[in-house]
Amino acid sequence: MIPRGSEGMEKISHYQLASGIILFQIGSSSLFLLASNAKQDAWIATSIAMIAGFCLLLFVTLPIQKMEPGKNLVQILQTYMGKYAGAIIAAAYILYFSYKSIRNVREFGDLMIVYLLPNTPLSVILLILVFLSGYAVYQGLEVFFRITEFLLPIVVFIYAALILTLLSSGIVHFERLEPLLEHGIKPVFDAAIPEVISFPFGEMVVLLMFWSHYNNKPNMSRVTLASYLFSGVFIIFTNMIILASLSATSFLIAIPFMMGTSFIQIAGIIERMDPFVAILLFTGVFIKQTTYFLAAVLACSELFKMKRRKALIPIGALIFIGCLLFRSHMEQVWTGFKYNVVFHFPIFQIWIPAALVLVMLLKKYFKRARI
Amino acid sequence: MKKKPTRIPNTIQETASWIQDQLGASPDIILRAYSAEGAGAERVVLVYIDSLVDNDTVNSKIVRPIQELSEEAFERFDERGLYALMKDRILGVGSIAEIDTFDHVIQSLLEGNTIILVDGYQTALAAQTAGGDERGVEEPTSQTVIRGPKEGFTENIKTNMSLLRRRIKSPKLRFVQQKIGEVTQTSVVIVYLDGIANQKIVKEITRRLSTIDTDSILESGYIEEFIQDRTYTPFPTLQNSERPDGIAAGILEGQIAIIVDGTPFVLLAPVTFNRFFQSSEDYYQRFDIASFLRLIRYGSFLASMLLPSLYIAITTFHQEMIPTTLLISLAAQREGTPFPAIVEAFIMEITFEVLREAGVRMPRAIGSAISIVGALVLGQAAVQAGLVSAAMVIVVSFTAIANFVIPSMNMAAASRLIRFGLMILGGTFGLFGIMSGLMFMLIHMAGLRSFGIPYLLPVSPLSINNLKDVFIRAPWWRMSKRPTLVSEPEAETRQGKSQKPEPPNTDPAHEGDRG
Repeated sequence: MIPRGSEGMEKISHYQLASGIILFQIGSSSLFLLASNAKQDAWIATSIAMIAGFCLLLFVTLPIQKMEPGKNLVQILQTYMGKYAGAIIAAAYILYFSYKSIRNVREFGDLMIVYLLPNTPLSVILLILVFLSGYAVYQGLEVFFRITEFLLPIVVFIYAALILTLLSSGIVHFERLEPLLEHGIKPVFDAAIPEVISFPFGEMVVLLMFWSHYNNKPNMSRVTLASYLFSGVFIIFTNMIILASLSATSFLIAIPFMMGTSFIQIAGIIERMDPFVAILLFTGVFIKQTTYFLAAVLACSELFKMKRRKALIPIGALIFIGCLLFRSHMEQVWTGFKYNVVFHFPIFQIWIPAALVLVMLLKKYFKRARI
Repeated sequence: MKKKPTRIPNTIQETASWIQDQLGASPDIILRAYSAEGAGAERVVLVYIDSLVDNDTVNSKIVRPIQELSEEAFERFDERGLYALMKDRILGVGSIAEIDTFDHVIQSLLEGNTIILVDGYQTALAAQTAGGDERGVEEPTSQTVIRGPKEGFTENIKTNMSLLRRRIKSPKLRFVQQKIGEVTQTSVVIVYLDGIANQKIVKEITRRLSTIDTDSILESGYIEEFIQDRTYTPFPTLQNSERPDGIAAGILEGQIAIIVDGTPFVLLAPVTFNRFFQSSEDYYQRFDIASFLRLIRYGSFLASMLLPSLYIAITTFHQEMIPTTLLISLAAQREGTPFPAIVEAFIMEITFEVLREAGVRMPRAIGSAISIVGALVLGQAAVQAGLVSAAMVIVVSFTAIANFVIPSMNMAAASRLIRFGLMILGGTFGLFGIMSGLMFMLIHMAGLRSFGIPYLLPVSPLSINNLKDVFIRAPWWRMSKRPTLVSEPEAETRQGKSQKPEPPNTDPAHEGDRG
């Protein structure tokens, strides 16, 4: 009724956009060691990937939205790629978003079984997760971004507390980051591109589904880039902390951050902080899976002109069934690293958006030329 | 189903018999006719309901003046003159209404007015004489404070309105009355400050109230259930209070109060989640202790919701999270108990709820017996008999006490109910279940609205100016803005800036030295 945006169009404020981007970007990635192939230089690889992702955002993803501020990805695709080709690409994006959501749900379910609930059937946990996300999607975009706004201070507070206790417990040794660039820059680059760009830095493409709801368009780039940089620096920093506390062997551990915090022992009182890591993991993955779920549902309802709450059911079912299709945690991690990160994701994150920007620029150019 | 209003007939006999007909032969209906001496024909009739009027007023201000009316007056004036005489000279009552339909006559009788009918004249006079026995203004029983006014609302709507008027002496204070309830005809009054309350919300509340179609309203709880935004939620979306100062503070922040006749509990809308953790005393105490107590309250809310479920989850699924020494002593305690933690917790929680309900229903005199039975039998004996572990008793009793810290009863009730849901989740899925439950709750609350205002307002959507009165209570001179969205956008500024008190530059002790 009252504060809703005009004509039922859901609106998000800049706090909400920023908190959404930060939580989405951080997700669970700060709990893991990214670019572990680069050994002790993993944080450099992550920085390179972050800068590359920044350029991608600045020169490809944001310009798309800026040229069509009021439209979301599906509408833009249909306007510029033609009715049919646009629809096919949009459908592919629905699958891509759903798949991303599947990966998060499944990964989280597996980690829960490993760490918290060894005797519970996986399908039940997955069902709960999909149901939770589904409920958030059912409530809508505004409510979802309000949730991120509420959670961000809590997440930041927990991270700050954990990092402080880690630093003061004396298990962080920054000399473990040495020697810098032992084998030159090449292996670092190889580790960074395209793996770390795809996850998590290239994932900003999903925001093309949400930007059009932002209520202060002129500020869009500034808010987005600032939140992106914040989360990027944050991820690099936690990466360094992980490396410095567990050394480069931490790629052997499923959740290195949890491992690191489990070593904390201060004055015999502050110990066993891992439940807090579990909370971080829960919120991070939940936000990520829900963001993709929401994007898929929004895209689906836009493409097939159906009500959002109706599109929720097929997408939800797709995600739940998709989660069960992986035979094991290892299989999903393996496919993730072997195929998706190297082949599939760059298509959706880099090539299609790049092509789209080219088409948009050309059309604009020709239009101007005709006049 | 509105009938066409019937006008009062010409003759008073007809009217009087109709009134008696409508109200039945109750002994408390008084009909008194006056006629000129000897002339026989009745010229004036008084009707009132004995049990609803203030007898002193009726006798001294209405009955006596009419009796003292001279013989000539009765004879000299025709019906028009007599009517005017009554209205302007005779009736010694401040508020007199002229009514001309049967429906109004009946309604006004039932409100405690005295009806004066003049033969041959088609309009009646209704003099306000409502009275009768009522409870006086006393200290509220439900929201007690140590510092602050001790007045509480009463069952009488007039008294309640005056309690508010006396606190806010502004011409902008508006009272809008409605009658709700086909049978009970209960007065419901909306109170707000014009120019400060958001006009859209005032309209919305008025609209929702006017759509209520029911036979009876006996308490503000009826109204609450008819107008709240969402029924299927454990969280209250309207606030209620017995304290005039609390309601006045709400009105000054742009909220709208709904007073219902017959109950001391006044509703406030729209509300946000944080308001249920504010007590009026917060604003009368120093800000530091008030802020500290705020944090204690939020903590208690979480504890009263989460503590049993966390205990269940950790002892059942995640023993590795407990420090070793504690784990050993817990294990030793639990060794003798026959039930799994979740059953144990349920037994104890339900027992406590029974005790609590018994404490409320019991006659006051026996009340203290309950606490002895509760503490001794259930605490001591159950542990010694090996039915429950001592740790569980601690958890349950702390949960119960924490629940009483929440100033608002309906929010405390919400956490009581949610607790059971979380216990089941904690018992089946451990910490994961509890986290899912909390996330579900957060999504639910983020989607909740109270008259269009997001429930989690100052936190999400974020409004930095209003955070000064959420988790902490900033000093008064710092809280310069009213809550956004709740108040009218132009009226957000509440007071002047930079009112921080400071000692004068010149030190009075050495004033003389300077010369």
